[in-house]
Amino acid sequence: MREMATSFRDRAGHALRDGFLQEALTIATTKFKELRREAFEDFPEGEALRDRAREIKEATLQRLDHHLERLVESVERVGGHAHYATTSEEARRIILDIARRTGARMAVKSKSMATEEIHLNEALAEAGVTPVETDLGEYIIQLAHERPSHIIAPAIHKTKGQVAELFARELRRQVAADPEALTRIARDELREKFLRADLGITGANFAVAETGTVVLVTNEGNGRMVTSLPRVHVAVMGLEKVVPSLTDLMVFLAILAKSATGQKLSVYTTLIQGPRRAGELEGPEEFHLVLLDNGRIGQLAGPLRESLYCLRCGACLNVCPVYRQIGGHAYGHTYPGPIGILLTAMQHGIGSVKDLAHASSLCGACADACPVRIDIPKMLIELRREIDERRIAPWPERLVFALFARVVGSHVLYRLAVPIARLLQRPLVRRGTIRRLPLGFGAWTRTRDLPPVASRTFRERWRELERE
Amino acid sequence: MTTRAEFFARIRTEMRKTSGLFAARAAERPRDASRLVETVRRELAERWPQTIERFRVEFERVGGVFHRVTHVAAVPGLVAAIARERSLRTVVAWHPTALGTDLGGPLAREGLDVRAMPWGPVEDAERQGFRTIVANADLGLTGADLAVAETGSIVLRSGPGRPRSTSLLPACHVAVFDRTRLVESLAQVGVFLEAWHEGPSAFGANVSIITGPSRTADIELTLTRGVHGPKEVHAVFVDEEIGG
Repeated sequence: MREMATSFRDRAGHALRDGFLQEALTIATTKFKELRREAFEDFPEGEALRDRAREIKEATLQRLDHHLERLVESVERVGGHAHYATTSEEARRIILDIARRTGARMAVKSKSMATEEIHLNEALAEAGVTPVETDLGEYIIQLAHERPSHIIAPAIHKTKGQVAELFARELRRQVAADPEALTRIARDELREKFLRADLGITGANFAVAETGTVVLVTNEGNGRMVTSLPRVHVAVMGLEKVVPSLTDLMVFLAILAKSATGQKLSVYTTLIQGPRRAGELEGPEEFHLVLLDNGRIGQLAGPLRESLYCLRCGACLNVCPVYRQIGGHAYGHTYPGPIGILLTAMQHGIGSVKDLAHASSLCGACADACPVRIDIPKMLIELRREIDERRIAPWPERLVFALFARVVGSHVLYRLAVPIARLLQRPLVRRGTIRRLPLGFGAWTRTRDLPPVASRTFRERWRELERE
Repeated sequence: MTTRAEFFARIRTEMRKTSGLFAARAAERPRDASRLVETVRRELAERWPQTIERFRVEFERVGGVFHRVTHVAAVPGLVAAIARERSLRTVVAWHPTALGTDLGGPLAREGLDVRAMPWGPVEDAERQGFRTIVANADLGLTGADLAVAETGSIVLRSGPGRPRSTSLLPACHVAVFDRTRLVESLAQVGVFLEAWHEGPSAFGANVSIITGPSRTADIELTLTRGVHGPKEVHAVFVDEEIGG
């Protein structure tokens, strides 16, 4: 389940040839896109709120130490514990320690990209703590031993037939390939787990510094179950999720669900302030907040700082022409889509995105869709520049571009090169285009045709016109 | 393992290298949220007929079932009818103090098996017992701390006599409230949340904003209800003030 040994090109090619995936991606992304558009159409305050949300994110980063310290104080004041994880490995160790100390044998999990990011499930299983994903989509892919293919709808790539087969095989429950029946089975199976689990693990959509409140945005109810029924609750949170106050929180709640699924609010917005109070019948005895760095701190002053605004809504995935064609798995990392490329670079370094940084036509649809207006294309270009600077790209590619840059940068060389190119291209031009370049250059024309060098350049034409 | 000091030292080191991307300020918090809440309540008190109508529209839009009665006395009959239509028998309810009225007796007289949630502290051994009762119940009866017209949401605070599972485990959730619970917008919810935080806390650690029945579209984007939480949510609005 870690990074695959195949190349991005292979994975993308595989995805493009998968007929069902193509159809599923089109249907799902189109639906989400439309729902989001309709939600904002009916919402005149939406644009001002997006500006506010972006501003609050920037303001929070500008005083990040202050807000995080406040958050920790607040969490401790309400009886919780804060932990600090610089790396994924540390985060896993912290959580395993808590599990070991509290004697947990089964952990129910609410959907959390942060726990995917740190590869928590394998570590829990190896340590003898059975992790159970409870979000229906995550539950399905857990049974299938796969990783999520979309931030919001992790099992989007599976047909109902495939899910029925999966349930038959893994749960030994025969059922029709009908979403209602399949959901009922999942409800029964997981209800029993909720009631028995020792440990509940979630992420955090937001954490309010002023009050120590961790906020979960869900639709199924598993977020409420996981944080009310087991004895211990652990929330894993990227440190950029902190917001200063409850008043700030409402700005984000007003736009998050609309951006993700077009809903005004998700079904359950759960605000959790520490472990249960005296006099409460239910709720965890212990509450732990794990603050996760994993590359985030390193970008506070870096070129990818703006990606720390991300609300993980998935809106950019749904409009990206690349994501819509290849789906999440082809990206080969935890976070797919436009923002995923930036997050991957943040977490794994520039080398991890030498192909992914080019998985974009820079059309800008993502920046347009992003509720907090993150300028993703600008940062993709910056990544490409850094890849070039660090000489990470393959040497033939670097050589060709270096030559191209020389020729195009000097008008003497350029005017020399044009007639030479016209000569060399003659055997390659068929019916007005160049379908295939020979030798190693064939990679350039595998999925595109090149226009030939014109028989007369603009400059030559202009001279003729002047003479006339 | 990273200590708190190390973690913050690294953050501060990086922060010193940049002043950020543009001038920005966080939201301005209300200075005296409790006073502001009173102002909001006063203003809303006049508009409640329009507010409840707006709530109804939004609540039904997210799949809730809306009912309205004139008097509290009509509530048990209504809840019993809801239960009978669905062949439901066992009810768990918030403690009468939390509900603002005692519906247990009247509901029992309608033939329902009713258990009220306990008020005071509970021994660990008993805790498991209550969990089983709620897990096996067909219908959960609660009040509402707020009913939000903008989104059709019901806001519930946890606490003594009002455990979270009442509105979560049973397949049918019924929330009973009056005009004093109505608010118009999410922004107003924010003011209440700030005020609740300011005030002394007799309440619990959890606030849930519930917008319709539990749902998912994870399988082929087909919408199904009642994944983990309730399959149905009912709102019963009482014209007269409950407990008033």
